[in-house]
Amino acid sequence: MPPEGSVFAPRKPLSPQLKAGLAITGAIILLGLLAPWIAPHPWDTISMRTRFLPPNATYWLGTDEYGRDVLSRLLMGTRLSLAMGVGATAFSLAIGVPIGLAAGYFRGWIDEALMRAADVLMALPPIMLGLLVLAVTPPALWKTALAVGFVYVPQIARLARSVTLSLANEDFIQAAKARAESTSYILFREILPNAWPPLIVEASLRVTYAILLGSALSFLGLGAQPPSSDWGLMISEARSFLDRAPWIAFAPGLAMCLLVIGINLLGDGARERLDPRLKARVKA
Amino acid sequence: MAAYIARRIVLITLVLVAVSILVFAITTLLPANVAYLILGPFAPPEQVRALELKLGLNDPVWQQYLRWAGAFLSGDLGESTLMNRPIAPLLMEALGRSLVLTCVSFVLIAVIGIGLGVIAALRHGRPPDHTVSIATYLGIAVPEFFWAIVVIVIFAAWLGWLPASGYEPLSAGFAVWAKHLIAPTLTLVFGHLAHVSRLTRSSMIEVLQSPYVTAARAKGLPERVVVLHHALRNALLPSITVLALDFGRLMGGIVVVETIFAYPGLGRLVVFSIQNRDIPTLQAAILVVAAIYAFANLVADLLYAFLNPKIRFGRHAA
Amino acid sequence: MRKFLTLLALTCALAFVQALPSAAQGTLRVALGTTLSQLDPAKTTIGDEYVYVHLVFNGLSRIDPDMTVKPDLAESWSASDDLKTWTFKLRPGVKFHHGRALDADDVVATMKRILDPATGSRARTSLSMVDNVTAIDAQTVKFDLNIAYAGFADIFADRQLRIVPKDKLAELSTQPIGTGPFMFKSWSPGDRLELIKNPDYFEKGAPKLDGVTLRIVPESAARMAALESASVDLVWSMPYESVEKFKNHPNVRIDSVSTPTWDGVILNNERPPFNDVRVRQALALTIDKAAIVELALFGQGAPTFSPIPPSHPYFNKSLKFSPPDIAKARKLLAEAGYPNGFDVPMQVPQEREQRVRVGVTVRDMARAAGIRISIERVPFASYTANVAGKAQMYVDGYFARPTIDTAIHPFYYSQGSWNKQLWLYKDTRVDQLLDEARKTNDEAARKAIFEKFQAIVDETAPGIVAYSAAHVNGVSKKVEGFRSTPMQWLELKSVSLKP
Repeated sequence: MPPEGSVFAPRKPLSPQLKAGLAITGAIILLGLLAPWIAPHPWDTISMRTRFLPPNATYWLGTDEYGRDVLSRLLMGTRLSLAMGVGATAFSLAIGVPIGLAAGYFRGWIDEALMRAADVLMALPPIMLGLLVLAVTPPALWKTALAVGFVYVPQIARLARSVTLSLANEDFIQAAKARAESTSYILFREILPNAWPPLIVEASLRVTYAILLGSALSFLGLGAQPPSSDWGLMISEARSFLDRAPWIAFAPGLAMCLLVIGINLLGDGARERLDPRLKARVKA
Repeated sequence: MAAYIARRIVLITLVLVAVSILVFAITTLLPANVAYLILGPFAPPEQVRALELKLGLNDPVWQQYLRWAGAFLSGDLGESTLMNRPIAPLLMEALGRSLVLTCVSFVLIAVIGIGLGVIAALRHGRPPDHTVSIATYLGIAVPEFFWAIVVIVIFAAWLGWLPASGYEPLSAGFAVWAKHLIAPTLTLVFGHLAHVSRLTRSSMIEVLQSPYVTAARAKGLPERVVVLHHALRNALLPSITVLALDFGRLMGGIVVVETIFAYPGLGRLVVFSIQNRDIPTLQAAILVVAAIYAFANLVADLLYAFLNPKIRFGRHAA
Repeated sequence: MRKFLTLLALTCALAFVQALPSAAQGTLRVALGTTLSQLDPAKTTIGDEYVYVHLVFNGLSRIDPDMTVKPDLAESWSASDDLKTWTFKLRPGVKFHHGRALDADDVVATMKRILDPATGSRARTSLSMVDNVTAIDAQTVKFDLNIAYAGFADIFADRQLRIVPKDKLAELSTQPIGTGPFMFKSWSPGDRLELIKNPDYFEKGAPKLDGVTLRIVPESAARMAALESASVDLVWSMPYESVEKFKNHPNVRIDSVSTPTWDGVILNNERPPFNDVRVRQALALTIDKAAIVELALFGQGAPTFSPIPPSHPYFNKSLKFSPPDIAKARKLLAEAGYPNGFDVPMQVPQEREQRVRVGVTVRDMARAAGIRISIERVPFASYTANVAGKAQMYVDGYFARPTIDTAIHPFYYSQGSWNKQLWLYKDTRVDQLLDEARKTNDEAARKAIFEKFQAIVDETAPGIVAYSAAHVNGVSKKVEGFRSTPMQWLELKSVSLKP
């Protein structure tokens, strides 16, 4: 029996927050998915004659220092940011949830060992850990996504652990134990399905952190490589031209802002719907 | 409580040791032969080998680690391979400057964040509330490096009010020193207001509707007293715990902000030493950062435990 | 609450008050983009460090902004008939910053130190022809060379070969002592280097400034803002994209000079795919150098074939920059065994924006022929260890050298020291030409030799030398007497500040 206040509870109207979040995030995801087909111009072809054009009828968001269309680059970059956010978070979940489940269910020395290891990873500000990990290998965007995911594993593990802890004492788990169900059954068929809602909500917020951290690392040179149109890289390259062509930097900045706000609204709305009493402490 | 603190400190020490091992392990993987960096591209191979021998780079990794750890504990932080000067004074200066930046930003985040949260709560549902919400949301939704660039363009280039970067020591005069601090502080503060202001707002709204406050109003106390003395004091509890977390977040934020504003602090030192493969400096700097970060989080945890009646008085209270 | 707000307002007001001038009147404030890692002249490697070296140290000879070699610490020199023995007479009355007079032993100590591999100086290979250096007397130094070298005196103008005091060698990294117009005062790594006037400089009347402060400001937007707001008086090596902004500025002028400094794509001639000359030629056929100049330098440079710039008398004017020929490129690739092109990574240096732009442009141009390049930005620090001379393809660039020989020989001669760290190029015709050039001082003969040299490297394409770049400084109009030099350091001896 799922606990009260499930996200999927029918007949509860969607809050304006949730609606706005869905609209914004949905729109951006759609644009990102359709990017290769809807982008009006090629995103990486250099064109000498169209450099530094301000936004106009042909180039809605203007062009950059190589004559490339900013809008097309922005759209292609949407996929990169979404991939970064979702990929990193998926990686965090894939590693962190099992760790948290194990720690929360088995307790004892397994719990201690795993949580101490998590402490070590959390001992550094995320960006520094990311810098360190990425410094040892030639840069590439997928490596950045993995590094960002790795950096956030401890937080996911901790959350999974605390959710597991609270669920482990519930009656339905005790009943399953009494029925002598196998451990993996209890973990994956009883606990996990009930643990997902808070985890997913948390994960959705993690996506925004992943996007922001990934773009900071790209900005510092450790993520996407030129001529990629990753938003962090776009902003980094655009800062030499802020006085003559501010649109090159502002477009990705605004886009990132919209995406993060959209996901935040979505996550907040979902969390409130799930359990209005939940005031989980969120650690960045 | 004391036992809890003691246990946490022991834990922190162990974690720091683990971090130092982790960093050491990672740096052995860094793709750059330090000897070549020091001797330059034309060094004959015998020279490179001789230097490697001298620096002990051929010893097994664990031996190198123990040697470094021993020196570190006795106060010898080593010498920067790149700058040929002892690390300790370099690190202390950088640390001091970062702490100044972080503490000033922290105070401003607290004051302005709480203030905005109160205003938003008092004008709940009306334009000021929405404005505050949107403005603070913008702050955290956009990465810090973006705001840093905006600050430079607007305040330094267009308006010319603020210097674009760098750092002037206090010895150059208080006004000069303060002026150089404004831009990076502004960037950091704007990027972190939302957490505090949102939480203050929602907890203020709750408290303002509580019987306690209704009673105070019924007593005929002036509104200002009701808000500031009665409501705020109770609403602040959750905000304080979030603030304590913000200190840790600020330590992450200084990496980008110090880099862009050329502020010679700890964040910039870490980036610089990674990019230039200055391993001894990197290890020392990371360890200092980890120590501060760990203690900041410890304080945050303690405050949370202390102020949250559920934990303070046991699971069954509240 | 009210008291607090008042305090806050007061603090803000204080902070907005015009800053007191942070330097004494007469101190020039210069903004550099990269921090200095080295204060020891023999070990310096980047342009920003060379700025400092030129202000604090002198060489036996010097190069003026018009690129003529003149005496500096050596007031005259002579060579034996076979050009293998060189004698330098030192200028009397030159004092180091700590008061002691310069003598021949200092020169010998400097040279021996550079020749010692343990020092790790890049200039060691510049002195590879030196067998022995001895002090004949207190004012005379003799060099014994193992080959005939006509332009020997010219190489001493170079940055790493500056003369240091024999009794202060250990302190060069922390308290450097030189003979130059400015003396070292303090260095705060990552922040600023302070120099003050040398009152006993051997050139009378110089320097005019009271001091020079070199401030490290890595962010280019911040450097421009500092120049506009007059927080600095000079931005060294201004980013090309910012030049336009200052063209008609009331307080700032742009001082630009063309230089032999070059950037290009280095191809490893010993690793596939570029070990095949046809593949290199195919790449060269996709390149439009004029477009690269426009995109990377914003027009402030000129296409060239080699480190010899178009402004140089030896430049081969009969060679043409042919427009891209994609069909021919594809044909060559097919002949070389790459009918469908190939994929290749290319490293570019992270901290050098113009070279990143060269990389992005070349990538786009090469695509047309099927050469699919993926760019990797790498911090400069790992270039030496992992990229230079090892990677299949990377973007790099080199500053102006004092002479044509030092600019060409180490790079193109098959045993050249820089060649081994670069493209590993071997061509016997080039070797012969360069050997010949060293033996003669006849201008017409040398011109002919180097013209042939340019034709050969254009044809065999060891790499793509894209352009000779201009050197641009942004200078406040309060600065008088400043002229940029093609050597890209700062000549500040006769510079002064308007009050």
